[in-house]
Parts: sequence; structure tokens; C-alpha cells
Amino acid sequence: MFTILIASGLLAAAPERPLAIHADKARLADGKVLEDAWVVIEDGKISSVRSGGEAPEDSAVLRHTGWISSGLVALHAYAGTPRAELRDTTRTMLPEARIAWALDPARPEVADCLREGITSLLVTPARQSLVGGAGAVLKTAGGTIVSREAQLSLGFAAMSYVSNRYPTSFQAGLAELERLLEKPSGLLEKAKEGELPVLFEVSERSDVMRALAFAKQQELRGALSGAEWTGELAKSVKESGLSVVLPPIGLGEERRALRAVLSLAQEGVPFGFGLDAPLSHPASLRLAAALCVREGLAADQAWRALSSEAARIAGVEAQLGALAEGQQADVVLWSGDPLELTSSVQAVYVDGRRAYTAEGR
Amino acid sequence: MTPSLPGLVLGLSASILSSACATAASPAKARPGGEQPATEVLFVRAERLIVRPGVELEGAQVVVRDGRIAAVGKDLAVPEGARELAAPYVCAAYLDPWGALGLAADARVDSATTAGTRAADGVDTYGNKELRLETLRAGVTCVRVQAGASARVSGLGAVLRVAPGLSPAEAILAAESALAMSVGLSANAPNQGPSFDFVDGQLVQRESSARGMDLFDRVGDIDRVVTAIEGGRSYLQSKIEHKHELAEWQKKITEKETELDKEFKKAKKDREKEEKDAKEKGKKFEEKKYKEDKRPQPPRYDEDNEVLGRVANGELPLVVQVHRTAELRGLLAATAKHDRLRLLVAGGSEAMNCSATLVERGVPVIVMPALVGEGAVDELDGADLTLAARLAKAGVEVLIGSGGGSAAASRDLPLLAQIAVGNGWTREAAFAALTVGAARALDVERSIGTVERGKSAELLLLEGEPLTNAGRVKYVISAGRVVLTPETK
Amino acid sequence: MKTQWLLLSLVATASLARAGDDERKAWTILAEKIYTSTGRVIEKGMVQVNNGKIAQVTPSVEEGGAATELKVYAVTAGLIDASARLGVSLTSVEQSTEVQPHRRVAQAVDIFAPEFERVLAGGVTTVLVNPPDSNVIGGLGVALKTAGGDTLESRTVRADVALRGAIGSQPSGGNRPAFGRATDFFNRRPTTRMGVEWEWRKAFWDAAQVERDESKRFPGIERMQEALAGKLTVSIQAWTTQDIRTAVFLKEEMEREKLGSPRLVIDAAAEAWKEPQLLVRSKTGVVLPPFPALGRTGDGAFMAWNTAQLLHEKGVVVALSAHGAADLDERLAAQAGYAMRGGLSFEAALAAVTIHPARLFGLEERVGSLEVGKDADLVLWNGEPFEPTSRPIGVIVDGVLRVDPRPAPVD
Repeated sequence: MFTILIASGLLAAAPERPLAIHADKARLADGKVLEDAWVVIEDGKISSVRSGGEAPEDSAVLRHTGWISSGLVALHAYAGTPRAELRDTTRTMLPEARIAWALDPARPEVADCLREGITSLLVTPARQSLVGGAGAVLKTAGGTIVSREAQLSLGFAAMSYVSNRYPTSFQAGLAELERLLEKPSGLLEKAKEGELPVLFEVSERSDVMRALAFAKQQELRGALSGAEWTGELAKSVKESGLSVVLPPIGLGEERRALRAVLSLAQEGVPFGFGLDAPLSHPASLRLAAALCVREGLAADQAWRALSSEAARIAGVEAQLGALAEGQQADVVLWSGDPLELTSSVQAVYVDGRRAYTAEGR
Repeated sequence: MTPSLPGLVLGLSASILSSACATAASPAKARPGGEQPATEVLFVRAERLIVRPGVELEGAQVVVRDGRIAAVGKDLAVPEGARELAAPYVCAAYLDPWGALGLAADARVDSATTAGTRAADGVDTYGNKELRLETLRAGVTCVRVQAGASARVSGLGAVLRVAPGLSPAEAILAAESALAMSVGLSANAPNQGPSFDFVDGQLVQRESSARGMDLFDRVGDIDRVVTAIEGGRSYLQSKIEHKHELAEWQKKITEKETELDKEFKKAKKDREKEEKDAKEKGKKFEEKKYKEDKRPQPPRYDEDNEVLGRVANGELPLVVQVHRTAELRGLLAATAKHDRLRLLVAGGSEAMNCSATLVERGVPVIVMPALVGEGAVDELDGADLTLAARLAKAGVEVLIGSGGGSAAASRDLPLLAQIAVGNGWTREAAFAALTVGAARALDVERSIGTVERGKSAELLLLEGEPLTNAGRVKYVISAGRVVLTPETK
Repeated sequence: MKTQWLLLSLVATASLARAGDDERKAWTILAEKIYTSTGRVIEKGMVQVNNGKIAQVTPSVEEGGAATELKVYAVTAGLIDASARLGVSLTSVEQSTEVQPHRRVAQAVDIFAPEFERVLAGGVTTVLVNPPDSNVIGGLGVALKTAGGDTLESRTVRADVALRGAIGSQPSGGNRPAFGRATDFFNRRPTTRMGVEWEWRKAFWDAAQVERDESKRFPGIERMQEALAGKLTVSIQAWTTQDIRTAVFLKEEMEREKLGSPRLVIDAAAEAWKEPQLLVRSKTGVVLPPFPALGRTGDGAFMAWNTAQLLHEKGVVVALSAHGAADLDERLAAQAGYAMRGGLSFEAALAAVTIHPARLFGLEERVGSLEVGKDADLVLWNGEPFEPTSRPIGVIVDGVLRVDPRPAPVD
């Protein structure tokens, strides 16, 4: 794919003039496709998105043969933290822990995500803690932490329990959580008030059942993360108002898991794709979307799960996840439709600056 | 037992003939009580028909009869009683040249394989029905399997059809497709002690030792391959020589007999006279003895060398799984003098470093792209997504396979091909690699790989272009039968 | 009166209910034999099910009518496994201290575990699920249906059915003496049977004394008080004679000291046949474990084939259990058959898998027999129940057909 630079001086430094990018097609936040798209970036933000017409005067112009979209938002990643730092093993409940303090944006796996078109990551504490602490939203270039308290992780899966440390059972774990939320302070208080969404780490359907009951009892909002068959309880999830973060869907995934995703879509449950990078390859994010589309998910729904819906689950929908006016300028130039696996990333902009250019361009 | 022809030519032509028979597809006959219905006559209408990469027909039709493609063209007449199918795109079905579906599980992990081990003997055509249907739904109808996936010598591979419910005869497309070996795999590294990781403050034993081999082990592996090939070659040679010698010896015997025949009367008279003389003189009569040359012994039958001989001769291709630069270079150098050897490299993670030699020698590389994050343990896991594109750009013939480690992996092959295209490979090359390229490399291109008259009917009827999200599989035809429809669960 | 009966025997392929059968339809079951578990056997009668409950059980048959008809050989009430051990694992029992009477295993049961469906196919409609016996006192068990909605509430027959614990070697297994070792959760008492018994007795004594001495309070003590008073059934796993003796003596000690009168049920009482008089005099109910093939079973206890018969003769309330097994030779229906082979009568065997477990655990208002007003839990058989030549071909739970006796339509 060949891109012609009409104006000069478009390097890593922030352009002083607005940058107008023209692409053959654009993927919008709701999944619809815009033809003959112009996207204007100014001061690190998207100032306009429209179809047809000309570039604004005194703007630098970039003509791209291919598609343009907002950067992908990957939920539930571990990239940016050394593996051993994800979980404090001395205590299973650390309500005031914030993963933002463990982030190192210079780690190579963050750049790996950038190269796959992922511009922001929701980095979460490991799933094995009963109360893991607050996750954070990190940009994959520039090191900006968009949100230091994106959600509070609570463990509802069997992996949160070991037999040689209190609590050893679901019953006692739930009782502990209830106790903590009875007179909450700090992050727990925010969660109880509904200001901070909760990420319920689940694995099996019985975990989902328990999490739904707990969320209802404590009046918590947030998302269920990590159970591939959550969709089989889609009606109950819809009633609860919780969203869903899907576990990474890889090659060789059972059809049952893919059908569960379709059930979620059918019931209107909002969902996004989880990544678990660097444990899984960053390309798995789009692969998950492609597998769901192959199974029958509508393309625009798949796109929303990769971008705007994911940003909403991470609590940053005002700034990220949409190719729209006022959003931060995280855009990706693709060789083709980003939902097609045969398309590749040509260039990535983060906060209005060129952060990555594919080789050979 | 006098042979009528000189032995040398006979020996060679016999073996060529037998291997040709092995690779011919056997058309299906109706099996009463079997799962698959009898073959029917099919009439396929395509808005676009991809005959072979680069040759596309618009508004074309294909007639399938008795398991084979009977006609391809435009404006064909519908045969009587034919079942009619239509699709926007029709193309040849995919072949996974490095897979494991259809092989019994213990055959796959067998570590005691030798060159003579035949994967066709370990085929399990039953079971795994759901997996087979999913693989068909992905577009893969044939898979080459090897026993002993990570063994040093895996034996003779077979090309199998994926569809469930086929008889063993139909399921095996080619009983002897290629010999496979491996060089430098960590799994075969000798003296492997357990190795450990420090995880969460605790020592955890790794599942496989990723230490790889040291220089001497590697050289040893390459030597093993070369020695085996040379052994096969000399075995073949001694077989041919034996035939030659046998013929000579027979000739001599015949000549001697004719000679004796001629002088029979005189010899008889002489013998009677001698007998009489001996009797008179009182001596003991001794028969004149004629010494025969000893009959030349054939070389002792060696099953492994039989196969290796055919490989050395170029009748069977040799697939060698090798990843690292040093081993690959060593292998290419050591086999340079075997000009008849047909080599294929499987894996080739670092093949870019030898790309010039690979191009020069015409060695194709079967890449195994994989989506692995930090979980990569040894060279089998960390396959690079851009490898196909880079090798292709350097001029190497690139094929794509699923790695032979798991039966389920063949299903994901077309998706991996798409991802490789997303990483720089061209879609045309990917499509060719999955169809005609793989078929040619494995000597089955007379049966599969393109939509041409006479070949076995292995077809995909797609809703869109192959290797795109829109290109969903509608129908799959394998061995001339419709093995997958949109209604199939 | 019907003159013709369809014997849906070995020809019928019982299939798990087809889609669309989820609604609580009205059913009319016509059977040669209706075994009600009340002592009454009806020949050539009819059971009518409506709205999830049993509407009628009668010898007079009316054919036609709006309800869907099912014709089978025999009908019994849904079987009840009094010690099912399904859907639980190590994360279902709290082991941070030995005595955890207030923990409810219902919060940890995985109702989606495929095991439930498997035992359902064997005719078991209600199961007693207890916390695993790795703790001395593990907490409160629950009675669940083996099929139902996606929530715990929809499946619960009765919550907090019994206070569960164990006497024997299992609760002390894994504990090590604390001397000279690095700190570990399991370096603690008890390491022997006497330690286990000590914990039990201490828990009861503390419960009895806490009103006078506040220092004796521990979390869950209220449950111990209920148990002491006899308001909460105490279910103790005790395989061997000495453990059964310990359990009964514990109860008798509480009575003797006038601390209370616990209502005791002994689970896995394999060697109860050795000293049945203990059970008779203390009016203790018994749940037997699966019959072992070669005699020896858990904790080294020896269980004879005639254990059930012997105890039944003496007047002990006996219930059978299969510990959640679903295989043809291990399932609950097979256990009833083994008990019969050991001499137990059919009526008593049927009671042991229906009304006795219901009575032992206070479920008899809802389940356990074919009586009007009870939950519509039925098992439809193609022959005499518990015979090896018969099997359950249909199962109805709460009025919903879960296993369909009708042959599947040909595609």
C-alpha cells in the first residue's frame, strides 16, 4: 500500500498544523463504514470526521490507500508489567493496590501490541487474587496512563482459592467480600457507591452465577471477565446490567464458546475481547473477532467489541475507542478492512503523533 | 528361471511403476451399509471458477462422476440424474502438507519409527467426526500425516482424506507420499536433564527442555540423515548390481549347458570308454566334475533401505524438519552431492539465512505459522508470522502446514494462511501453497490440487473469495461426494 | 381399563428431552405398576402431573384428555441420593479452622457440572450435597434437584439441610504436628481420631456454655446451638465401627449431661451392621455408602452385602447412596438392587432411596413419594425397578420431562 505525502515535515514530532488523513474507507465507532473518509487531527485530538469534500486549509494532508479506524482497545492485558509483579502472593486481598504503580511502558510487549493496531490496553491485576486492586488503562505509545483506577478486580473463580491459606472456600471468600463491603473505604467504597466499576474474574458458569448474585446483592456495576461460556447465561447477565470481557479466543476454539458469544450478542449484552498479552499473541485480538464473525457475529458488532464497547467497559469511552470528534487521536491506517485477517497495520497514530510505521513504506 | 530382460532397467522401472500405482487415487465404489452414500453425479455451477492459481473462469461448470472431475468448462449440459449445486466461488480444496488428522494418536507420538514405518498402517479413519467436519468446514479435505511427529526418522507419510465415514481405501489418497526426518529438534536432544524455571519464587519444572542441541549433536543429526541416504543409495545400487550379476551368471550357465549339449554324444562315448578302462584296470571310476560358479546372493532385504533407496533416487521426496541456521546450512551442504535427492524443509524458522541456497537448490519450505505469545518454549512453538512473506520475497517456494503435532491444527490452517497474508504474503501465493503447490511437492498433483479433468473431485464451494472472511464454505466435495453442506451440524 | 399396553422396553431409546419440552406440561402416566413409596402399590393405574406437582395417583384410568400420555411399565418417585458428593471440590469446604459450622456449601456448588445430568439419567432427581469431609465440621449441606433453572434458588429443595462433619481419619489427613517445621496451614491439630473427636466435643460444649461464658464464642456457634437442641440435623460421616460408636457416644453424652439432644444421621455407615443396637437405642438414622465389590470400603471399613437388610430388620432408618456415581453398576438404582440381593425387600429398598432420605433430612413435604401435592419428580421404568434387566427410561423433575421415554423421531 502506497501512501503519498503531499505536505512536508511529518515526523515523530507533534505537527503544529492540523493533519488531514484521507482514506478510502473508515470504520466508525458503531461499526458502520464511511467511504471517501477525511479524518482531521489537531492538537492530539480528532477534530472532524466526514465523508467527501476537501482537506481544511493549511492542514498537512496524508492520502492513504486503504482503511482508517480508531485504535483497538484490548481488555484484560498484562503487558507492561513483569509477570512476577502481577500478583502479590502474600495476601489474597489488597484492596488499595493499583497496577498503575507496576507499569513499565518501555517493555517490548507493549510495542508488540502497538504494532498490531492496539492503541490502549486495560491492564489488570492477576486473576488469582480475591481482591486484586485497581487496573489501569495504558496507551501503547508514549506511556500515557489514561486512567489509573479503571476498575476494581474481584476474584470469583476457583483459582482465587488455595487450600493452605485463608480463605480456602467460596463460602468463606464471599463472606470476606461481604465483610469488606459492609464498611468500605477507599476503592471499595467507590465500588460500592457505583463510581468504580468492578471486574469480576470468573472462569466457569457457576462462578458467573455467584458473581451475578453478589453484584445484585451489593448493587455493583461492572463486567464479568474470563468465562468462555458466559453467553449460555446471557439472559441473566442482561438482567444484571453487567458487561462481559471474553477470554482470549484462539485457534482451535470450540464452537460452543463461539456460539456463547453469539448468544451474548443476541441478548444485547455489551462485550469486549480480552487479550491476556503477553501470554497470548497480540494478533489474537483481531483473530478473536474474525472467528466470531466467521461463526455468524455481525461485522459491526465485532468492530464495536474491539473498539467503542471495549472503551466503555474500561471506562474511557469519552476519550478513546471511536473515530469521532473530540476523541483522542489514536488512529490506525490499515491495508484493508481491519476485520479481515488478510489486512495489516500500515501506520499507527497515538495522541496525534505517528507512533509506528510498517516496514517497506 | 532365466530372465528375459536385462536386469538393470527392469529393476528401476518396476519400482517407478509401483510408486505410481501407490499415488493414483482410487475412485470410490458404493459401500452398502457404509456411512457415506454412493458416489453421485454432481453438476456444479460457479459464478467464478478458480481452475488453478492464475486461471479463473466466469460462469463455468464442473461435472463430477465416479469420484473424479469428468468435465470442466462453460455451457456444459447437465447430465441426467445429476445433483445440482451452485456457489459464487468454486476452487480446489486445500491440502495440509504437514498435519496429523486421521492418524491414530499413539502412532503420532511413536518414537520407535524407522524409515520403513508406514503411516498408512497407523491410519484411524473412524472417530473424531466433529473435528473432521470442522476441518472440512475450514476447507481442508486432505492432510499428509507422519507417524512419530518429532522423531529423528518418521517413516513414510501418507496423504489422507479428511471426510468422516470413508472406507479405508478412499480415506488413503496416497499410501506412500514422502519420507520425513528431523534434524536438531530439542525433543531429540540427548542427555536431557530436567530444566527449571523460577516462577513466583518457586522452582517449576519445564515441560520441555528448550536448551536445544550443541554443535556436536547437530552435526551428528545431519550425519545420520546423510548416512541414511547414502546407505539407501548403496543398497539400491547393490540390488541393481545383483540383478546384473544374476543375469550374467544365468548367461554363463546357459552357455555351459549349450556347450555340453553339443558335445553330448562324444562326451557320452568318452565317458563309457573311461568307465570300461577303469573297470579293466581295476581303478575306481570317477565322474568328471564340472564346477559351477556360485549363484550370486541378493543383498539381504532391508525394509528401511528399500525406502531410503527410493529417496536417494529421487522417487520419493524427503521432508526434513529443521529450524536453526547452522543445522539447515549443514544439511544443505551435506546433501549437495546427492543431486537426485528431492528435499523439502519443514519448519525452517531461520531459513531466511539460507534463502539463496534454498532457491538455488529448488528446496521448498513448509512454514508453520503460529500465534504464540510468551508461551513459546522451544523452536516448535515460536514460529514467525512474517516468515512466509519474507521467504517468498527471497524467491523460495513457500508452502504452509499445521505442524503435525496436533490433529486439530489442520482446521485452523486457512486462518493461519490469512494471517500470514496479513503479514505480507500475497493471497495468490497462499492459495497456491494450499492447493497445487502442496500437491506438487508431495507427488499427488495428478490427483488433487486443481480443478481439472481426470483428477479426484476435491472441491470447495464458497460464498466469496477464498481466504477472506466473506469466503465461507458452503459445500465441500471430496472423493466425488458432497461431504459438507450448509445444513451439516 | 386399558386392554393393551405398550411395553416400551429395550426397544425404546430414552433420549434427553427434546427442545420445547421445557415447559411444565401436564402429563398422564399410565403404568402397570405404580410404586408410591407409601406402602401402597397400584396395578394398572395412572399418575397425573400438573403445574409441577402430582395431581392424582389412582387405579382408575381415564384416557384421552389434554395431558400428554406416557405409557410405561412402572413408575416410582424420583430417587434421592442421600450423599451425592456432586459439584463440589476442595474449594467448597473452608479449612482455615477445623470448626466452620456456618459455612454454606450451597454457595460453592457448581450446578452446571455435567455430573448432575448423568445421575439424572439414572433416575436420581434430588441429591444431598455436603461440604467435602476434609474439615472436622465443614458446614451446612443443601438438598438440590438434579435439573432445573440456571440459578441455585430454582434447584434448591431445602437449604441448610444438615450440619455436616466427619469422624474418622479423613479430617485429620493432611495435618502434621507443628513441631520443628516451617509454618504451614496444615501444621496443626488434629492429627488423629482422638483430636477429631476432641474438636467435636469442644464445639458442642462451647455451644452449650457460651451463654454463660462469652470467651467460648466462635463464628458459627449459633448453628452448633441449633444442632445441640435437635433443631438442625447433624450428619456425621463415620465409616468404621469405632467411629460410629464415637458419634453415637457423643450424642448420648450431650443427652446425659443435659446439654441437648442432637438429631443424628450417620453417613457412610459401612460397619453399622456390627453394633446395630447403638443405632437403635439412639434412634440414629443411617446412610449407607455404595456397596463395595470386595467388602473393604472407605477408612478400611468392611461392609457386608446384607448390611441394609440387617439394619432394616432392627428398625433403623436406612437410606442408600451412590456418592454421585452414574455408571450402570454403581448408580443409585444399582445400589438398591445390591441391597435387595443382600436380603432387603423391594419395598424397603425403594423406601431407602425415596422416602427414607426425605424423612432423614426433612424433605418429605416436597419429595420422596408419589402423593398428591408433592413435587412431580417421577422415574419411569421399562421393567421392575432395580432389576439389572430394567432401567429408567424416563425422568420428570418438577413436572418437566428431562429424559424422554418416547423413541426419537427418525430424521
